[in-house]
This record gives sequence, C-alpha cells and structure tokens, in this order.
Amino acid sequence: MASEELEENLSELQIGENGEKKPVENDVSEGAVKVSCFTEDLQDVTLHFQIVNFSKQIYAWIGCNSAKLGHLYAAATTRPNNNVSVTSLLGSTSDNTGSSIARRIVLKTGLNVVIACNIPKDSPMLEATAERKLVERLASLGYFRPKEKHSN
Amino acid sequence: METGSNNSLPTQFPVSHKSFSLNIKGNKTDIVICKYDDSFMVMATQIGCMGTILHARKEESVSTDPTFHVAVIFGKRDEPFLVACARQLIEHTSSYGSTRPLVLSLGLKDHSPVINLPSVF
Repeated sequence: MASEELEENLSELQIGENGEKKPVENDVSEGAVKVSCFTEDLQDVTLHFQIVNFSKQIYAWIGCNSAKLGHLYAAATTRPNNNVSVTSLLGSTSDNTGSSIARRIVLKTGLNVVIACNIPKDSPMLEATAERKLVERLASLGYFRPKEKHSN
Repeated sequence: METGSNNSLPTQFPVSHKSFSLNIKGNKTDIVICKYDDSFMVMATQIGCMGTILHARKEESVSTDPTFHVAVIFGKRDEPFLVACARQLIEHTSSYGSTRPLVLSLGLKDHSPVINLPSVF
C-alpha cells in the first residue's frame, strides 16, 4: 500500500530527536521532482541551498550557517498586469530578508516560487550573494526566460 | 557540488531529504520530505506545484495533554480534510517523540477524504 511505503520512508528519515543524519547525495532525482542541494563557503559564512523543481513551481531554501527553515515567502505574478506579488507565509513580517529574493526569482523565471530563508536581517550583501548563487544555479537548470532579441 | 578548500573533508549537506513517487488511485504523486533543524517539510503533489501549504505545531504544557495547532498558511482554506491530514501527520511525528513543527504542502487533484487523503498518508 502507498501509505505503508510512506511510513517506511518516514521512519527511515529517523524522525526521533536522537536520529542520526544519513549521508545524502547532493543531487537526488527520483521520480519527476528533482531536489538539488549545494553549499557555498564564503569568507565568514556558509550558505546552503536546496532547490526542489516542480513542473510549475520552484521551492528553494537558503540556509545561512544553520539548517533552520527560517522565514517562508511565496511570490507569483498576479493580475491585472502580471506584476509580481510577494507574501510572507511564516515568520516575522518585519523581517523581509527573503522577500526581495523571491520577487526577483519570479521576475527572472516567470514561475511561482516559494522561498525559505534564514539569512539574518540587515545583511544586504549576504542577501545579494545568496541571490546571485541561487540565480546561477537556476540558470544552469534552465529556468530562465530567454531574452527577447530586439531587431535593429 | 561544494566549493571550498580541497584539503577539507567533504561535509554532509545539513538538511536530509527523501524524494520519491507513488501512484495513488491512478494519480502520480510526488513526495519530498525534508528535515530541517527546527521543522519538517513534507510536500506531496499531483498537480506539479506545492498547492495548499499548512503549518502544524505541537503545544505542550506541564499539566495538560499536548495540543496541536494546525493552520492553512497558503491556498485552500475551505477544505477541512487538508487540515485533518496535517493534524494526523503532526500527531504521527509527535508519537515518535519529535516536537518539531511541520510544514505540509498538499497539491492534490481530488480532495475527497474517502478516496485520496487516507491513501496519501
């Protein structure tokens, strides 16, 4: 049964607090959903990235020195002019560190995105670096819209 | 793919995850489970996107039995069985001794409780 297989997978993930982490490959592609994980070591911080590629949406997590989920944001193009709207789903509404990242990802890819980010507030340089690294990876995965060529 | 000194030992990615596909009542269901330091993320989709996102957490007190708080944070707020599904899952993880909150995303084609939700979890 499907539920038995899911329970088996959940128990393998060792939900208990004393469970040990299993080694995980950086890129796992089982089924139609590809999960990409990578780490960038900067001078004083370590940025972790996790991208889940759904067919119509992107979920991305950005971790700064820790593996906490952080604040959750959703962004998408909305009517009437396909302007990008961002909303905070989880976390403090006064700290909008990840919302600008979410907004720009939508501008570049045209897809709905959900971003989880635990970058500390008031770190614009770190935020910009994280966004750049994420954008580079999304570009390598083929998510960006082709630029329109203007004929002269 | 990791950047850094070539002399350092390769480190494990801090977030463990599992990704797999199930066939539920003829619908291909992609499931991703992630374990963060302070929460679990479970995504189950049949429609190519995350769908409705719910947040469930356990509230413990000294004298009374633990209670659970479940809320829809994005998407359909008029489907009570999605909330029931999240409630069932947080209780399941809580039974293993975990106090981590759960972020659950369900992108299902059919919200009928008889047909789909018990099969998913």
